[in-house]
Amino acid sequence: MQQVKRWLVIEMKSMLVIGGGIAGIQSALDLADRGFHVYLVEREPSIGGHMALLDKTFPTNDCSMCILAPKMNECNAHPDIDILSYSEVAGLSGEAGDFSARVMRRARYVNEDKCTGCGECRARCPSKVPNEYNSNLDTRKAIFLPYPQAVPRVMTIDKDHCIYLTKGKCGVCRKVCSAGAVDYEQEDTFVDLDVAAVIVSTGFELFDPSQMPEYGYGRYANVITAMQYERMICASGPTSGHLETSPAKQHPEKIAFIQCVGSRDMQHNPYCCSVCCMHAVKESILAKEHYDESQSYIFYTDLRATGKGFEEYTARAEKDYGVQYIRSRPGQITEDAGTKKLTVWYDDTVNRKVKGLEVDMAVLCTCLVPAKGGEKLAKILGIEIDESGFFENMDELTSPLDSKRSGIFIAGYCQSPKDIPESVAQGSGAAARAAEVGSA
Amino acid sequence: MKQIIRNTKAYYCVECGKCTGSCPVARGNEFFSPRLIVERALSGMKQDIEGDRELWACLTCEACSKKCPSTVKYSEFIRGMRKMAFDSGFTSRCSQGGLLHSIQRIHSIKDLVQDRLDWAKDLKTSKKGEVLYFTGCLPYFENLFSAFVSPIEIAKSTVKILNFAGIVPAILQNERCCGHDLLWTGDSETFQKLARLNTEMIKESGASRVVTSCPECLRTLKLDYADLLESTGIEIMHISELISSLMKNNGIKFNRSGIMTYHDPCRLGRHLGIYDAPRDVIKSMGELVEMGNHMAESSCCGVSAWATCESMSKQMQVNRLIEAKSTGSDTLITSCPKCLIHLKCAVHNQIPVEKEKVDIRIEDLAVAAGKALAGD
Repeated sequence: MQQVKRWLVIEMKSMLVIGGGIAGIQSALDLADRGFHVYLVEREPSIGGHMALLDKTFPTNDCSMCILAPKMNECNAHPDIDILSYSEVAGLSGEAGDFSARVMRRARYVNEDKCTGCGECRARCPSKVPNEYNSNLDTRKAIFLPYPQAVPRVMTIDKDHCIYLTKGKCGVCRKVCSAGAVDYEQEDTFVDLDVAAVIVSTGFELFDPSQMPEYGYGRYANVITAMQYERMICASGPTSGHLETSPAKQHPEKIAFIQCVGSRDMQHNPYCCSVCCMHAVKESILAKEHYDESQSYIFYTDLRATGKGFEEYTARAEKDYGVQYIRSRPGQITEDAGTKKLTVWYDDTVNRKVKGLEVDMAVLCTCLVPAKGGEKLAKILGIEIDESGFFENMDELTSPLDSKRSGIFIAGYCQSPKDIPESVAQGSGAAARAAEVGSA
Repeated sequence: MKQIIRNTKAYYCVECGKCTGSCPVARGNEFFSPRLIVERALSGMKQDIEGDRELWACLTCEACSKKCPSTVKYSEFIRGMRKMAFDSGFTSRCSQGGLLHSIQRIHSIKDLVQDRLDWAKDLKTSKKGEVLYFTGCLPYFENLFSAFVSPIEIAKSTVKILNFAGIVPAILQNERCCGHDLLWTGDSETFQKLARLNTEMIKESGASRVVTSCPECLRTLKLDYADLLESTGIEIMHISELISSLMKNNGIKFNRSGIMTYHDPCRLGRHLGIYDAPRDVIKSMGELVEMGNHMAESSCCGVSAWATCESMSKQMQVNRLIEAKSTGSDTLITSCPKCLIHLKCAVHNQIPVEKEKVDIRIEDLAVAAGKALAGD
């Protein structure tokens, strides 16, 4: 393989960044711009993380992908960044300044060097799978690109759903690939990388709200998660940017946003996820921008608008977009079996009255929890995690980005709950800390 | 009161309102709010709580405490507040004119002699044995509610099923009320007397396993008698759990017929987490169609500990029956004698909706299983 040869002749010091979300991307770009060589390891087929799935960002309502995609492409084009997507760190030895990392490159059954991302194989693939990149709102094929802006732009075969790989029949994608990129014989391989420092930026995943049956997620069609809402209202999403109720496929007039679903809850996650107040405000503004007749209600515990411009944003949502804030954690959502409309039952803690609010759609702003596999990765790296699953730092005040092992740094949501700007700032901060090790 | 607040973690309350938003009573009774009772307790308003008639409106159904973000043990909190009120001379407004609570207090007389086993004469039972069937108040309910329901059929069916499986259960000539209702309405002194009388008799019977058909007896024996029965190693189980294990281990089968839906009793479901066993049994008798609100989200039958029966109770029962009927099932199965009585009472009495919206057949799980026994 061409890339392996190149790794052997590297002379400048190298860095390992684990996790290619916005924090990891920022770290990789900062380090590469300083002249370090960066290996950016990403578990998914594409870098980009959760930011790639969002429609807009708060508090400016910028298009999320428009901000992110240039950075993703810069990583791809940068001579000093090697993206190892669909890969996971399997081992680490050595010490700060002289680590050796073993990375497992999972077989994607497509030759990365040959695939042009033309999509002919995907068009012909007969196997349909729930599309996790669209929060399972639609389907993808067994050979797929997570989304159009994916980096690297190469196909991946989902071996659990590929008919050829599970039953030995089909083979359509190999037949139609004019580049000859499909390779069913591919196996997982390991590469060893010499790196001076490691940055861990593995991000988060979403709390599964079906653990809270009172909100009816999974039982009632019009109860959705905020991530599903993001995908629906995103022009490149499964409904081409239209909010639709089920099964009527009509624009929802009344939308309830329920905050702190699975967060600030001692039965689930005790911490504040730090973003659901603001993304609910953003999403309710977007609803009004899409449909003037829409009315949003945000059920909040405490409206935490602590960032730059956040307070103004929440006030603007109320004044200009008619968003209603209701101070309560709803107790239950019920469904009218005939109309499929929902009733949100809540204690209006300001007026001290129990009310039932009928809505067309309820959006659960679920907690963000550290990504799966954090414990395993912590063991591999010899670092620690706290009781909520976040990586532990040396000292919250004086060295927040240093893990408890010298030469390993942490950035982004995996360090503690935070939003995009803070993740970017930590990505840069961790890169600076890593550079110090690399320059020693 | 401070002790109750500490034991039930009520001081963790962040006034988020999730309890009151979950509360089925608060939706119809504007004077009742779980959160506001905690708020008053935290403010030290002891007399205000004791004299509040709404203190007795709580169904202790645990719809709130199951989801409290601060893990306040709300039903225990209410139980503590009621004991405090009872000790200060306040009592609940007992339904049935206080008759049931009176019977339960009479049960605490040590030398009481009852004539309560007439129902079992055609069945195989014994005075001692491996398995004890704790009948509960069914013989009394039979006399009180025979106008519209026959609760004793639950006892007969339970023993019939046990006999069918080759088990001759012991039943107690002088079994007392388990004390559930008195415990949950503040009279813990009488409860203690009943608990001691019952545990003595249970120990004397030589049983290693006690079966109940009433989830309230089950909860009380399992959790509230724990201190008294702890060292005995006696296993306490609900009839649905026993039938489910007989199906798996003894090959007991049922004739399948019809579509059924299931109403989870609060004590069996949210209090004890027994959701699967009754469903296993129903699925072997026919098709199970769930209501929207099921398992942990099941709604209460509207009355608890015979402490409350008001327009809100009727409304809850009617809503539940409408929900059951709308599943298209021909039978609503429940596994608690009190749920059965309360739901049937709603249909029997005048209600503000057309009868055809609620006229679904309502049957106890043991009775349905007794009828459906294959090879009987």
